[in-house]
This record gives sequence, structure tokens and C-alpha cells, in this order.
Amino acid sequence: MFSPTNFRQVQQMQAPAQFSGGSWKQKKTIFVRKFKSNAREFLYFFSLWGKTLQKIGGNFGGGVQSYFIFLRFLVVLNFVSFLLIAGFVLIPSIVFRSRYLNCLKYDPNPQGLVVFYEFFLDLLSGTGFMEYSYMFYGYYNNTVVVTSLVGSDFSYNLPLAYLLTAVFYFAFCLIFAVRTGGSDVRSYSMIVFTGWDYGCLGSKATKLKQRNIYYRLQVDLEEERLKKHAASLTLCNKVTLYSLRVLMFFVAIGLIVATFFAIASATTFSQVVCVKLASCKNSNVQGILGLLYTYLPSIVITTGNFLVPLLCDQIALLEKYPPSATVVVALLRAVVLRLVSLGILLYTLWNQIECHGSTDMCPCHYNHNNYQVNCWETSVGQEMYKLMLFDLLVSIALLVLVEFPRRMVVDHWSCKLTQWVGRQEFVVPSNVLGLVYGQTVVWTGALFCPLLPLINTVKFVILFYCKKITLFNNCRPALRTFRSTTSAFFFLAVLLFGWILALVVMIYSVAEIHPSFACGPFRSFFRMWNIVPESLSILPKGTRDFLFFIGSQAFSVPLFAASCVFMCYFIALASIYGKSVAMLRAQLKLVCVFLFITVK
Amino acid sequence: MGTTASQLPKDSLSEYQELTFLTKQEILLAHRRFTELLGRDERNHPNPRVPMQVILTLPELKSNPFKTRICQVFSTSEDKDGSLTFEDFLDLLSAFSDSATLEIKSHYAFRIFDFDDDGTLDHSDLEKLVNCLTGETEDTRLTSEEMRQLINNILDESDIDKDGTVNLSEFQHVISRSPDFVSSFKIVL
Repeated sequence: MFSPTNFRQVQQMQAPAQFSGGSWKQKKTIFVRKFKSNAREFLYFFSLWGKTLQKIGGNFGGGVQSYFIFLRFLVVLNFVSFLLIAGFVLIPSIVFRSRYLNCLKYDPNPQGLVVFYEFFLDLLSGTGFMEYSYMFYGYYNNTVVVTSLVGSDFSYNLPLAYLLTAVFYFAFCLIFAVRTGGSDVRSYSMIVFTGWDYGCLGSKATKLKQRNIYYRLQVDLEEERLKKHAASLTLCNKVTLYSLRVLMFFVAIGLIVATFFAIASATTFSQVVCVKLASCKNSNVQGILGLLYTYLPSIVITTGNFLVPLLCDQIALLEKYPPSATVVVALLRAVVLRLVSLGILLYTLWNQIECHGSTDMCPCHYNHNNYQVNCWETSVGQEMYKLMLFDLLVSIALLVLVEFPRRMVVDHWSCKLTQWVGRQEFVVPSNVLGLVYGQTVVWTGALFCPLLPLINTVKFVILFYCKKITLFNNCRPALRTFRSTTSAFFFLAVLLFGWILALVVMIYSVAEIHPSFACGPFRSFFRMWNIVPESLSILPKGTRDFLFFIGSQAFSVPLFAASCVFMCYFIALASIYGKSVAMLRAQLKLVCVFLFITVK
Repeated sequence: MGTTASQLPKDSLSEYQELTFLTKQEILLAHRRFTELLGRDERNHPNPRVPMQVILTLPELKSNPFKTRICQVFSTSEDKDGSLTFEDFLDLLSAFSDSATLEIKSHYAFRIFDFDDDGTLDHSDLEKLVNCLTGETEDTRLTSEEMRQLINNILDESDIDKDGTVNLSEFQHVISRSPDFVSSFKIVL
């Protein structure tokens, strides 16, 4: 008869009840766990590029892998948020336009045949055929569905949907980012005891997993050694090291401020020249030159963003931080630089839109003389679109014109110079910065260009494959890698900086600037936000009172106080548990020592 | 294929279902795979035993660095040679199945990592464990200095009673804090 001795012993260890048909609770827990693991496996099926990420991690270490994991996360974020926008804004717009096209059509100057290079220029700068399309804010109507046309009691307030979708888009991105970012600190024993995946099949996958684990362990051990070494330096060495670090800090700040001024002067120069030429957008004679002048701020920004991190990397070599801290510091510096330059661009745009004189000079409440098209939201959307596109073109151009030739030169022509330069190394901080910058640009422009998240998804997918190709063909494995868990958390924190910048822009546009009269869903309102009170006013009185009560101080102040109290309670609880764990450990040690003594 | 001797009798099937975490389909699949491993003359044997070398040809175990230890832990042979009967094989699959509990899995993981079978994980066990995890090739082996540092760190973190070894309860304490141990400690045919 079957008597698995091992199994019986273990069974008696755990549940006391008989296994067969017996405890319903046991069956229920098993069912719940199976369901959860099935759901997780289903979600893993949708996790893109899993095998590629494993391959990257095994060959180049956890640091580079964390960049690609971050990129994959951004692709998913953009795609899902685009679905949100499509569902509430794009599809209703398309439905209404196609259904009532005859009612809404008014195009006195239809465009005839377009010359090919003009088509190409329009594609790159978002003008011409792209300007008056679903791409930009100006195309959307302030349609509130008229029930008589539909024939039933259906109403859809498109302007309200547009605004609320933009708000929810931001909230959704924040929640998604925060939820994904919860990382557990992995200790050595956790890695060693639970690190192996027994479902790993094949010798290749096994070798990759082994290399993955090896890199993680090695990185953690090296960091610890460096920390111990740093702690054991003599006082004299410490003083020199810290003073050097302070000096380098000021040098880095100086570089950033210099870039700041370069960008500001380039932007003002570009504006002055464009005004002189009467327009940089539509003059046929100056096609390419006009394009150059419009793109001048973007060119200067991208050059600055390219050069300054390189210099900061050289500075970092002198500072001698441990590898994880180096990455964090490099990332911080580059973030500040990029977001500052983006902020300057936005400030110059604001300068052009806002009215800087008395209200007699600006009857439209915004500077409508400066924009040929009189639709400032579309112009801002175009700027963001251009930034995004230019970023992608520069990445691809770098790949083709710098990285591949560098590898060919190093491989086929061996002399002292090429040996010293060597093959490319995949630098994670600057690449992550590129992603954060690109995502911030998209967030800033999403209110004015609803299709931007979709285009950004496509851009990031292209970027993933380009970076993968360059990684495997042109790069050598890093000599030192850094801890991937803390850096993954840090990438998301940096992304939130960009989110905050975009949020500030959105709040300012919605609450402080007058929408264009000539285009867009908010053309009849004083501020974009005003549609919300107006829509609320048609609700029944009870609902209105309830909503006002929730928004009022009588509700929110007690709510805030209550959440503070709860937070204090949980913090106190956590500290008490920590103390009791320490106390129990000490007691256990005491008991063991006591037993040892008595047994002896 | 399909001689009556290699079919699983129905009462045995229901008994196995009760005593392991496996479903009926899993048990039947395991029986089929096990019979494929047997030699032609062993098929009519009442309780055939498959030597370890043959078990290790299974693709699910072939590249697993802990394959030898897994066979040794689940084997009930007196010679401790790692050979498995069908019931040992079912034990193995049951412990590694979807529905097995955390206690079962951590118990067996502990026994697998205990290379010298003395009931605790001491310095040499941990060293062999780390070598299995990182692979034995030249470029993925930790230096002895790094190994010593790593094992000291592991013992600092998990050895609560400070006796220099990790016993079963300390091991289970570490495992219980890991959210994906249960899903990674899984072998499915």
C-alpha cells in the first residue's frame, strides 16, 4: 500500500484535520491561492519582452536591465492612458463628426495638392494638414449633444469630458507609477534562499539566471566593501574628499546655470529672427532655414542635455561615490538640467501667449497678434510634438552616426587611440533621463494634443528596439554595475518630478489663461475650468449641495485632521512592533545561553 | 503502449489524489512520463525504481542546479543513491506543485539546501548553495573573500539564536517574508 513516509510526517506537521474531503477551509484556501496564481500568470502573459529582459539582465547586469524595465513600464503607461483618452474624447468626437458632418462642415479654403517636401515639413512640425486634425486641441468642438438630433434622451458634454479626461489622465499616471514602484529591499538571505526559479528550463536560461544572481550578489558585496573602506579613511583623506566633492558640486551647478543662459538667449534670438522674417512657418523661400530657426531652441536644449551630462560624468570620476550613489547623483544633476531647460521653453511660450500690456491692447485676453493661427493651445501642442519628435530623431541619428561607426572603427582599426576610447558602454543615468524628459514633454502636451500619448507609445517601442540593438551590437558589459532595486525605485521618483512640472503647467493653463476664441472646446468660456461649475449647475439641487459640501472647508479640514491621526497611529504601531521584535530576539538569545549553561 | 500493467488502477488513483496535492490529470501525466523512463523489462515489475541518472534526463530537471539534491531528498532507497519509485516521484511533484502550501515547500527547500543532511545549514552548506546558484564556471564563481563576506552577512541576517547555523524555523522565517517564493518553487510537467 502507498505509505509515503516523508509525506505523512510533513502532513502531520501542518494541518491536523484529515486531508480527504475534510476541511472545507483548506480547500477554500487552496482554491483562492490557485486563482491568484492563475491571475498572475495571465498577467505575465501580457508582460511584454520578458525573455528579452532576462537576456539583457544576464549579459549586462541588473543596472542596464532596470533601464529597460523602466522603458517597458512607460510604454504600458502611455498605451493605457491613451485608451482612457480615446474612450472619452477621441471616439465620441469621431462619432459626432461623422454623424453630423454636414452640420459641422465649414471649410472656405480647401487645400489642393500639396508639394511633397511641404508635406514632409508639415509632418515634422505639426502644421498644415496636421494642425487642423484630431491631433490638436483646435479641432475639437464645444459640442454638447443636442437631444433633438439624436432623437433620444442622450447627452454627452464633450468639453467637460475633455477637461475631466485630462485631469484623470494625470491622476491615473500618478497612481500607476506609485503602485508599480513598491519595491522590497532584498537582503542577502532572501536572494540566496528564494532567488532561484525552479521553472527555469533549458541550459541557456539557467546560465542567464545564474549570471543574474551572480551580478546581484557581487554588486551588493562590493558596495558594502566600499562603505567599510570609506568609513575607515583617515581624517586627512576624508577632509580632502569632502572638499573635493563640494567643489565639484559648485562646478556642476555652474554648468547648469551656463546652459540656462544659453537656452534663454537662443530662444529669444529665434523669436526675434522669426518676427523679422514675418513668419518662420509658411514662407516658401526659406523652407529649410525657417525650419532651422523654429527648431533652434530645441537644438540648443538637446545639445546642452547631451554635453553637460558627459562633463558631469567626468566630474563624478573625481568624486568617488559608491556606484549606487554615483548613479543617483548623476541622475539628479541631469534631471535638474533637463527639467530646467524644459521649464525655460515653457516660460518663453507663456511669454508669447500672455498679454503684457493693458487690456485695451489685448481685447482677446491673450496675445493674439503673435500667432498667425490665433489658437494658442494648438501652438503649445505643436511645440511639445516637435520636442518629442526631435528627441526620437536625435536618438536614432546618434545610433546610426555615432555608435555603429564607433564600433566599426574600434573593431577593425587597432591603434592606441581606438584602444583607449574602446567600445561604447551603456550609460544608464543619461538614458533614463531621456525617458523622463520624453514623458514629461508628453504629460505637458497631453492637454493640448490628445493623440500625443499614442505617438509616444510608438516612439518608446521604437526606442526599445533601437536601444536593444545598440546594446547587443555596440556595447561592452559594464565593468562596474549598480544595485538595481534602489535605482528602479529612484527612476520612478524622478519621473514624479516631471509629473509635478506637467501638473503645474496644466493647472495654470486651466485656471489662469483665457482659452482661444477661435478654436477648441472651451471657446466660449472665460477660463477652461468654468465648464465644471456650469455643468454642475444643471444637476439637481440635492446633488449640488452634497458636492459643494464635500468641497467645502467644513468637510475637508476634519478629513485632513482624521487622516493625520490615522497616520500617527500607524507610525506608532510600526515602531512598537519593531521594538518588541528586538526585545524578543534578545530574550531568545538569553534563553539559548541559559540552556547552554545548564546543559553543560 | 497501453498494456494493462502500465495502467494506473482506479483505487490507487483516488488514493494518490487524496494523499498528494496533485489533480487527477497531473497524476496520470506523471504516470505516463514515469513509465516512459522505465526500461522494457522493468515495466511489469510491481514497484519499479528508476536510477537517478535516468530521472535526470527529464527536461524539467536536466538543467536545474539542484537536481542531484532533489533526487536524494525524495528518494526512499536504503542505499541513498537517489533512485525514485513512482510514489517518490509523486511526492516530488506534489511538493513542487501549484497547490502545495508554504510550509511544505519551505520544509523541502530546507532539506534540499542541507547538503550534508545534518538538519541545519552550516557554513559549508551555504557555500555549496551559493556555488549552485551562481554556477560553477570560472567567471561566475565568487572569490573566497567574497564568499566569506556573503556567508557572514547571511548568518547575521537569518541566524537568530547565533549558533552559527540556520535551522528550519529561522529558514522558514526568512522564506515567509518573500512574496514570490511559492510561485518560483514550482516544477510542472
